[in-house]
Amino acid sequence: MIFLRRQLPLLITLITGLLFAGQYYVPHPASEQMLTSATKWLQIIGGFALILGVTSLFHQHAVKIKRQEAGWGYSLILYAGMLGTIAVGLWANGKESVNGAMTAFGWVYNFMMVPLQGTMFAILAFFIASAAYRSFRARSREAAVLLVAAVIVMMGRVPLGEYLIPLSGDVSSWILNVLNSSVRRAILIGVSLGAVALSLKIIFGVERSYLGGGKE
Amino acid sequence: MSFAERMLKIDRRIIFLVIGLCTLLPLLYPVGLPIKISSEVRGVYDHIESLPERSVFLLSIDFDPASKPELYPQAIALLRHAFRKNLRVIAMTLWVSGTGMADQLVTQVAKEMGKEYGKDYAFLGWSPGGQAVIINMGQNLYSAFPSDYSGKPTKDLPILDGVRNLKDVTYMVSLGAGRPGVEEWYVFGKDKYKFEMGGGCTGVMAPGLYPLLRSGQINGLIGGLRGAAEYESLIGQKGKAVAGMDAQSATHVAIIVLVIMCNVFYFSLRRTSQAQGQVG
Repeated sequence: MIFLRRQLPLLITLITGLLFAGQYYVPHPASEQMLTSATKWLQIIGGFALILGVTSLFHQHAVKIKRQEAGWGYSLILYAGMLGTIAVGLWANGKESVNGAMTAFGWVYNFMMVPLQGTMFAILAFFIASAAYRSFRARSREAAVLLVAAVIVMMGRVPLGEYLIPLSGDVSSWILNVLNSSVRRAILIGVSLGAVALSLKIIFGVERSYLGGGKE
Repeated sequence: MSFAERMLKIDRRIIFLVIGLCTLLPLLYPVGLPIKISSEVRGVYDHIESLPERSVFLLSIDFDPASKPELYPQAIALLRHAFRKNLRVIAMTLWVSGTGMADQLVTQVAKEMGKEYGKDYAFLGWSPGGQAVIINMGQNLYSAFPSDYSGKPTKDLPILDGVRNLKDVTYMVSLGAGRPGVEEWYVFGKDKYKFEMGGGCTGVMAPGLYPLLRSGQINGLIGGLRGAAEYESLIGQKGKAVAGMDAQSATHVAIIVLVIMCNVFYFSLRRTSQAQGQVG
């Protein structure tokens, strides 16, 4: 059992990790064919991951409803919304419209999901403004630098700002292109090197936490 | 409680009201301030402008209705430009929740420009797998999308004649609101399959994509509503983005004024407490 639980997954990870790291540098048709097949598998696994996610969500909220935990009413709404959408989606064969006529699934999408998501995103502007007023204070030198940079970029990104302070557009562009780019690039290089190191640790079996901590 | 203290603890509903008015009034009474074109947006425009007719243009609509206000006008402007240039437009999405919206968007602009489905444009829809879809398209487009959104086999679409994989795409733009988006298209697509690429994203994401832009990994970037407004100005068809710029201008200025006010009150309060400390 230890072989199936520990050694076999490590062996599969080692072989596939090395194989696909090497594949990138081998343009032979056989190598390309292998990549085509593997990505098709990945897409299929992606589809199953979606089912797994939905199942897990259902389970989590079923427990909440069963135990009548705080906010269980919202879970009930979630159940009704999900089951309702799945039912109309299956009924309409996943199509929002058929021959120009809107299906029930299309109605749910256009008149429920689109405005609800739009509203959620739109109210962010109000909360950001309120949060900025409450917390964007020059308490230290670093905070002051951040504050000045933010004000310049905010002015430089809108026509009114450029009209009031003509230089703000160019200064904002310089901040984004020079300061922001170089710092972001440094972060990106650091993160990428970390990802390479972690990948090597996983491939060679040094990092094993993904195997879980079940019984041996 | 001093005036500064009271102002720092102002009811947040007043701030909401200020922001609401700053958004609403410019929409009702537009000013129409001139919009300066940035080199980032011009990069995408100039590249599309330089493409010969019937070049293959892939547009990946990688966002959902939450980012519609910023990215929808970008997509409309790009599609209008591509259709006007008589490019072969292949649209798709990596975001399942954006599929219906993307279909409506492409159909609407194609109808407006008098384009024929299958001959001038196609909408492939969504396929599961995120970045795996990009790699799969790079290997074999028909394996990633055996059928289009309406269920027609992609092999039968005349628009895809001569297109086997991403290597046959002349230009690609990803309009991304997160992951998978512009970065994934570069890492898993352009880097390996060597096609020219541009990007579009929400305003908050734009600074994160500047390293890709500065290194030439993407040849242009349309950032947020401002980017969309610039693109609309470039193609000479002003739409929702240009209309929204006045509202965004007023909101930005309102937030800046609020931040300055908060700092003035904060420093006045700090000075008072320091003075009281010295006396005590």
